[in-house]
Amino acid sequence: MDTGPYSDEKVQTYLEKEFVPVKSQCFWDKRTDLMKQFNIAWTPTLLVHDSIGNEHHRVVGFVPVEDFLAHLKLGKGKMFFNRFRFAEAIEEFTAVSEQHPTAGATPEAIFFLGVAKYWKSHDPKGLRWGYDTLAARFPQSEWARRAQPYQQIPL
Amino acid sequence: MAMIKWEKDFSTAVKLAEKTRKPIFLDFWFDG
Repeated sequence: MDTGPYSDEKVQTYLEKEFVPVKSQCFWDKRTDLMKQFNIAWTPTLLVHDSIGNEHHRVVGFVPVEDFLAHLKLGKGKMFFNRFRFAEAIEEFTAVSEQHPTAGATPEAIFFLGVAKYWKSHDPKGLRWGYDTLAARFPQSEWARRAQPYQQIPL
Repeated sequence: MAMIKWEKDFSTAVKLAEKTRKPIFLDFWFDG
């Protein structure tokens, strides 16, 4: 029986379609090999890995459905981004921004969307777009502050 | 409703991911 965000049909469908899902039970009195391998010190810990086992995204603590879906898409986007597959990364980051506009992961997705736009086009206006969007939508976020240097880029 | 088919073994999941070219989602959970 799936509980928490896993009881939501959107989560079930998305996970089944887009990921190979793995559940690993933790024991604090005798840590499992997998807990040691991935440095698990609290639960729930959620990881997104590529198909050869490299980690691209980590979430610690409970997340409700909308945040959960946004983290899955952000993780997938970061996997493409880290492999320099920017068109696919842009698709995932855009999905977070448009489909989960108030999720906790959205400012980070917008930051990486701006960077991915820059890498894809080599036009620094992508970075400036990232700053402008974060400043308008999430002015208090750390990601807006991280993008501050791009404020200098002329439009 | 699409029930989630959870893998329990990570090495099996890596093989499946290589075959399907899908990323892996791992949930470390505690029953307490």
